[in-house]
Amino acid sequence: MVVGHDEDHSLLNPTGHVRRRLALDRAVRWLLLLAFAAVLFPLLDMVYWISARAVPAFTWGTFTEDQVGLGGGLHAMIIGTLFLIGIATAFAVGIGVLSGMYTAEYAPPAVARSARVIGNVLAGVPAIVIGYFGYYALVLYTHWGFNSLAGGVALGVFMVPFVYRTTDIGFASVPRAQREATLALGARRSQYLVRVALPIALPTMLSGVFLAMAIGLGETAPLVYTAGWSSSTVTGLLQPTSYLTGAIWNFYDFPSTEGSFLTLAFQAAFLLIVISLTVNIAIQVITDRYRRRLRGLFQ
Amino acid sequence: MAATPSPALPPPRGSGWRAWLGSPVALLPLVLVAAIVIVLLYASELRNFGGSFWSLNYLFDPLTDSGSFGVGIFAVGTAITAIMALILAGALSLAIAISLTVYLPPIASRPLTILTNLLAGIPSVVYGIWGYVILAPYFGSTLEPTLQNVIGFIPGFGGTRADTAGGTGLLLAVFILTIMVIPLTTAIMRESLRNVPKDLVEAGLALGATQWEVTRRVRFSVARGGLWGALFLGFGRAIGEAVAVAMVIGASVQIPSTFYGGSTTIASFIFYQLDSAFTYPSLLQALVEYALVLLAIAVVVNVVGQRATHSDMIAAATGGI
Repeated sequence: MVVGHDEDHSLLNPTGHVRRRLALDRAVRWLLLLAFAAVLFPLLDMVYWISARAVPAFTWGTFTEDQVGLGGGLHAMIIGTLFLIGIATAFAVGIGVLSGMYTAEYAPPAVARSARVIGNVLAGVPAIVIGYFGYYALVLYTHWGFNSLAGGVALGVFMVPFVYRTTDIGFASVPRAQREATLALGARRSQYLVRVALPIALPTMLSGVFLAMAIGLGETAPLVYTAGWSSSTVTGLLQPTSYLTGAIWNFYDFPSTEGSFLTLAFQAAFLLIVISLTVNIAIQVITDRYRRRLRGLFQ
Repeated sequence: MAATPSPALPPPRGSGWRAWLGSPVALLPLVLVAAIVIVLLYASELRNFGGSFWSLNYLFDPLTDSGSFGVGIFAVGTAITAIMALILAGALSLAIAISLTVYLPPIASRPLTILTNLLAGIPSVVYGIWGYVILAPYFGSTLEPTLQNVIGFIPGFGGTRADTAGGTGLLLAVFILTIMVIPLTTAIMRESLRNVPKDLVEAGLALGATQWEVTRRVRFSVARGGLWGALFLGFGRAIGEAVAVAMVIGASVQIPSTFYGGSTTIASFIFYQLDSAFTYPSLLQALVEYALVLLAIAVVVNVVGQRATHSDMIAAATGGI
């Protein structure tokens, strides 16, 4: 900056309007950082309070007992959540991966564009509307009553866009040279997809599936009127089941003096936060590692 | 990132609607959207639309299983909570996005970016129980009376001590919604600002503009679409949130005279009301119609938001990668 002449002070010691502009810049920077901190504070508060209410009450029974009367544990809800997520993931992966591969690889550009827009529209459908859909289509019209299958499928519909989108991104991000080289060597498109594109797209797809599972794990609205509720451990596809988010929704307004309902709700919330954070951090790690590998491969 | 049409591939079979026929699997998300709409339309039988449906009259009589089912009160509750939450979340997430992309050094912005991504994964029902059990007593006993004393002269923030009792109500719902929307709007705004071409920014800086001036004049004008799109997609999330809002808004079918009073929204009402509606066909039908209204608004807002935002940015922001 210093050019070598003593009289050139204007850059180092700004005066007048330059000084005002620099001061404004600094003020804006601090204001923005302050706003950032203001957002983080309530979230730390939330994590703190939920841990404070949940952690001291954890025992083995929390994980091994069903909720009975005024006490008991979260066993049935943990199993129920895993069961529902299993059904939902099967549904979402089936539909999401097929249509994602199609959109990235086979669909004509115009179709692919519209398909992506529709995928995002599905992501924007409110969860409770999907819950109503599940209630009418899979609980009422089938005369099955509340059942895990309906819950799992409703949750699966909610999860489809995440799997779809990441599958699409994964396959579309395969370098064009790889594809052209494969096809030029006479490979069929299916061979290209399975042998060349899949290994490259897999980490992205997997992170999408995990993300969808983490988000599905925390959903309540699609489940309340489809999976129903049952205090004992789920016994079959067409039986109702309980689940962790439902424990919070059903127990959150019990007074803390009445049984262990409120404590169970906080413990469920704590488990959900822990699982969600773990899965999301795992996704970040996978993605980071994958990016590094991609850079090594193609640059 | 975007799929690049490759010249090496054979041209698509047919064009226009025939191209769609050639790609049945790409239609599956469309099939799901269509199924949702059809099932809801079939369930509602479109019986109550028209007349008193588009009014503020909501009155249900369980004894005769009849009443007038105006969507007005719920629509107003939804609009108030979602718009207020969006104003707050928009300002705050813009601040966060600028901090992350412009002001913070990489060593700080990388972990903080991951942190803001992680927040998107916290379940809404968890925000709900925190709001109801921990925040509501604080709002009712401390924050809201203080607001009454300090800014009580602003319409909507005055009222009596009775208005703040319990702490649940519009204000708490707005607060919770704001926090829930921030991760999504921040992610899209961040990606939009990050995608501003570097040479434009450096040209501005080289001309002697400060970072803030470059942000305001260059980054904002280049990223304008993404910033607006973030607001629309955030609005879609805010109006669709049922569970957390049902827990903290006080669940009463009214438009309160102050922001401290209880109210309800379309999404939260159809969520907590459904199990008591199983035995009342007319109420059940009204709820399905509310769901249709909500779906229609959500789809329109979503499509507008998508038009404003580049699809890669939505993907990068919400795909977690």
